[in-house]
Amino acid sequence: MSLKTATVHAKWIIGKVIGTKMHKTAKVRVTRLVLDQYLLKYYNKRKTYFAHDALEQCTVGDIVLLKALPERRSKHVKHELTEIVFKVGNVIDPLTGKKVAGTKFIESLGEPTEDSAGSLTNKLDKLTLSAAPGEAHEKNSGL
Amino acid sequence: MPMKGRFPIRRTIEYLQKSDIFFKNTVKIMTVNYNTHGELSEGARKFVFFNVPQIQYKNPWVQVVMFKNITPSPFLRFYLDDGSQVLVDTEGKTNKEILQHVKKILGKPEEVLRAEELAKMVHSNPANFGPQKYFPRECMCEMEGQVPCPGLIPLPKEMRGKYKMQAEAEDA
Repeated sequence: MSLKTATVHAKWIIGKVIGTKMHKTAKVRVTRLVLDQYLLKYYNKRKTYFAHDALEQCTVGDIVLLKALPERRSKHVKHELTEIVFKVGNVIDPLTGKKVAGTKFIESLGEPTEDSAGSLTNKLDKLTLSAAPGEAHEKNSGL
Repeated sequence: MPMKGRFPIRRTIEYLQKSDIFFKNTVKIMTVNYNTHGELSEGARKFVFFNVPQIQYKNPWVQVVMFKNITPSPFLRFYLDDGSQVLVDTEGKTNKEILQHVKKILGKPEEVLRAEELAKMVHSNPANFGPQKYFPRECMCEMEGQVPCPGLIPLPKEMRGKYKMQAEAEDA
């Protein structure tokens, strides 16, 4: 049997990285929609591919675009990493170009910079704990 | 007894075949990013619920991936064979608008579809004989008015090779 020189129909695939413990190789899980013949409904069917990642820049959970290599690199590795579509923890909205966390833009949530530590200490200083009941009531109402 | 689930019509072959979006050969991946809540994603959600099965039925070799609640804005992204990407913003659009837009930019035009259909018809000539899986008839004996299958009804003596050879031998 001759070696397959190019993979069949899987020229470009998108998947999620599930493992990076191999040297310069990422394990990617690709889901395709497959029709259940009886229910006539589409379900995700998983398949794992190994992709060559020269710079080892993937972490587990990234959404990644793979391209088929012209020749097999090794027994299992037939694809290489082209682009990290969504980096986990650092998703950038393609329409606006801004950083995003879930369904909110990160800027709108406020900037948690080094000031937060300073402001906390300031708040602690302001907090005057005393046994006086009147002041305790005020604090409770504030909460 | 009615079908189970909401909008079970989505699960009929007739519904699945109704779509007329055939992607161009360069389209390899379709990615749909949408949110589960929020009015802006409403069109995208309807698109995923009603139209994605139709599209996948007609384009079985395109990988369709859905992403939920990753970005605040809903969009579609297509990855083409030459490495380029097509971004389609679906914020505020209804699912029909999204469908028409996608068909306009990435669907095969009608003339190409018709030409392909003709080519297919030329290939599959109904006059051919062969295995039942691919052709309408296997053997001439199936047709009315033709010689019946010798497996069922033995041929008359004159048609059998054995007797023809014997007759020739007698004549010679």
